[in-house]
Amino acid sequence: MLAEEMYRLRGYLQDQGIMFCYSGYMTEGVLTGIGQAIKRKLELEDADKKTSKAIFSIFVEQMQNVIRYSAEREPLSGENELRYGVLTMGQKGDHYFVSCSNLVERKDVARLNDSLTHIKGLDPDGLKALYKRTLKGDTPQGSKGAGVGFIDIARRAVHGFDFDFTEVDDEHSYFCLRAYL
Amino acid sequence: MDNIKIDATERSPEIDFDFAANRFRVKGESYPEDVTAFYGELIEALDEHLRGLKGATVGFEFELVYFNSSTAKVLMGLFDSLDEVAGQGNDVRITWVVEEDDDNMEEMGEEFAEDLENATFELKKIES
Repeated sequence: MLAEEMYRLRGYLQDQGIMFCYSGYMTEGVLTGIGQAIKRKLELEDADKKTSKAIFSIFVEQMQNVIRYSAEREPLSGENELRYGVLTMGQKGDHYFVSCSNLVERKDVARLNDSLTHIKGLDPDGLKALYKRTLKGDTPQGSKGAGVGFIDIARRAVHGFDFDFTEVDDEHSYFCLRAYL
Repeated sequence: MDNIKIDATERSPEIDFDFAANRFRVKGESYPEDVTAFYGELIEALDEHLRGLKGATVGFEFELVYFNSSTAKVLMGLFDSLDEVAGQGNDVRITWVVEEDDDNMEEMGEEFAEDLENATFELKKIES
């Protein structure tokens, strides 16, 4: 039973083209470790260098988003909190993908949705302009990073990205962003 | 000011700031856990030093293999400071070193350099 259950999970992941899946609390230490594994895997895959670097960059931005913003966390306030998320990386057809999902607060959904819809609609020049404007501007309210993570992901995802939300309860939604390379 | 030398780690670059010679170098990968903790004091020391310069020749070399978006914000600020110092009667030369096949890193450097009005920018390609 035990093995059968996990074998089914493994089969599901393989069917989805997932090479790598991490579900759990994300920390900077986890980022370092998984980052090394992904780098090594891409070297073995013989992925071209440009694609490998883009995959790695998107992975870092996605992980750091969860570490900083996931609404699923322990303890609920204070230092040394742990934030939960699910990260997958894989290949489907000719494209690689990096996908990341986490709980968000429903009050943040509209803002995230607007911002990502805007980014998705921009062409490379528009993305570049927004990237530079954001780098030069003040850090947005409630942001612990530079606020340029999503724009950076969009610029490196040569085959675009998708995202959506699903309602979980009165206060939370679940958010997923998948970038294609 | 005392020189600053910090060895590279997997996630942070080597720092070599020679204040007496006005030669500065950042080399490696940059996606530190906390960008402010890593760069905050370095940038502060650098800004303080640069503000006092007049008629100096300043060389700043970046040889970065990868940096995350939080680091990009630090780099943008650094380019702005260097350009400002160049506008105050100093000769500021920024060298952006990239591996010859790394188009993305080349583009990043050129984007940072687009807004320079006073400092000079040189792209240097090395073998990968």
